[in-house]
Amino acid sequence: MTESPATGLFRHVGFFYRTAKEYSTTVAAFLGDGVAAGEPAFAAIPDSQLGLVADALGADARRVQFADMAQMGRNPAWIIPRVQAFVGLHSGRHVRYVGEPIWASRSQAELREATRHEALINLAFAGADAEIMCPYNTARLSQAVITDARQTHPLLLSADSGPGTSPEYAGPSGLPSTCSAPLPARPDTTMIHTYRSDLSQVRALVMKGAKEAGLPDDRAGDLVLAVSEVAANTLRHTPSSGTLVIWHDRDEIICEIHDEGVITDPLAGRRRPAPDALGGHGLWLVYQVCDLVELRSDDTGTTVRMHMSIRSPRPLG
Amino acid sequence: MDLLTTSVATVESDSEPYTLVELAGEADVTNSDALREVLDAEVAKQPRTMIIDLSGLRFMDSSALHVILRANRVMDRQGGVLALASPREPVAKMLRLTAADQLIPVYPSVREATAG
Repeated sequence: MTESPATGLFRHVGFFYRTAKEYSTTVAAFLGDGVAAGEPAFAAIPDSQLGLVADALGADARRVQFADMAQMGRNPAWIIPRVQAFVGLHSGRHVRYVGEPIWASRSQAELREATRHEALINLAFAGADAEIMCPYNTARLSQAVITDARQTHPLLLSADSGPGTSPEYAGPSGLPSTCSAPLPARPDTTMIHTYRSDLSQVRALVMKGAKEAGLPDDRAGDLVLAVSEVAANTLRHTPSSGTLVIWHDRDEIICEIHDEGVITDPLAGRRRPAPDALGGHGLWLVYQVCDLVELRSDDTGTTVRMHMSIRSPRPLG
Repeated sequence: MDLLTTSVATVESDSEPYTLVELAGEADVTNSDALREVLDAEVAKQPRTMIIDLSGLRFMDSSALHVILRANRVMDRQGGVLALASPREPVAKMLRLTAADQLIPVYPSVREATAG
């Protein structure tokens, strides 16, 4: 009854902005139009931007749900389940969502994953009655990031050229090469272990590595769970052995598993499984407990790189 | 020594007897079949209440969780109740993140589980 004309059409818009004014005006108008139409609206943007948008919205801000993207999307794989929960909560209604998962101080690995997340939005929300706007600060982000955004968004909006379609859009299953090419080479000085059946030993090695890297106990336990789940998939789904590699620097510890398994569903582990499902919790847990997960899979095998920051606190749990 | 040990007892209580399954060690994909056999055998006896004491469990993965979820389904169908007791933090967290704790009651101790 209060639905906008865009009803039934999933829209995923990359919004390129340069100034705070452009940002707050456009984002607030997008959300405000939803509020005026009685639509549920959700904005997950970095904490530093929340005030700008709330001020521009005025009284309407009370009818928008806000989240700090630096927390909610620190691991970009956490975002889709959160937005799916919001869409599910308002099932049958047209919803609006502003998500800004990419900012300039993200690490290269985070940028790869955030770009992958943007691409997977097209797959995860295909057919959903939702309008999604993703702001990109073109004054601060690299040209490479913007080029990828043109591939991951079917629609674009900017102060210069207004709204339009993206000629570079890669389609609902397309992934920019930034986030689908083989992962960057790992350092030479690493701990390498081959396993075939003993996961207890795998867990002990991860715990030892985590302690040496200075990871606090609870987060070491998270990493142990993640690696064990991925290694369990080797035993479950492949006839051969898997390889565990562990390394760390001052900022993070990384555990990488490689095996001959093949994961074909790009959204595997990125959707919350039903609690009573008798499968599908393994990769879900991996994504939930790690700070960042990078997964590459093709006919020759699967590599999963699990990152844990050594210092920063983690928001989930 | 086995990675996972299980012990089963029927415990007499003030109200009615219940089945107590104690797990200790590490429960993962390498021993989930054995765990399934133990739980299946107990569930088949159709107890009104079955409590799984997790206090001795250092680690649990999703394979073990699926075995427990499966046992819970059958208990439900039989009109019985399955409860989990005293998980250590890593296991408790895993139950939260999978929302299994929304499906199966989790208590801080076996005593509290018996009180319902």
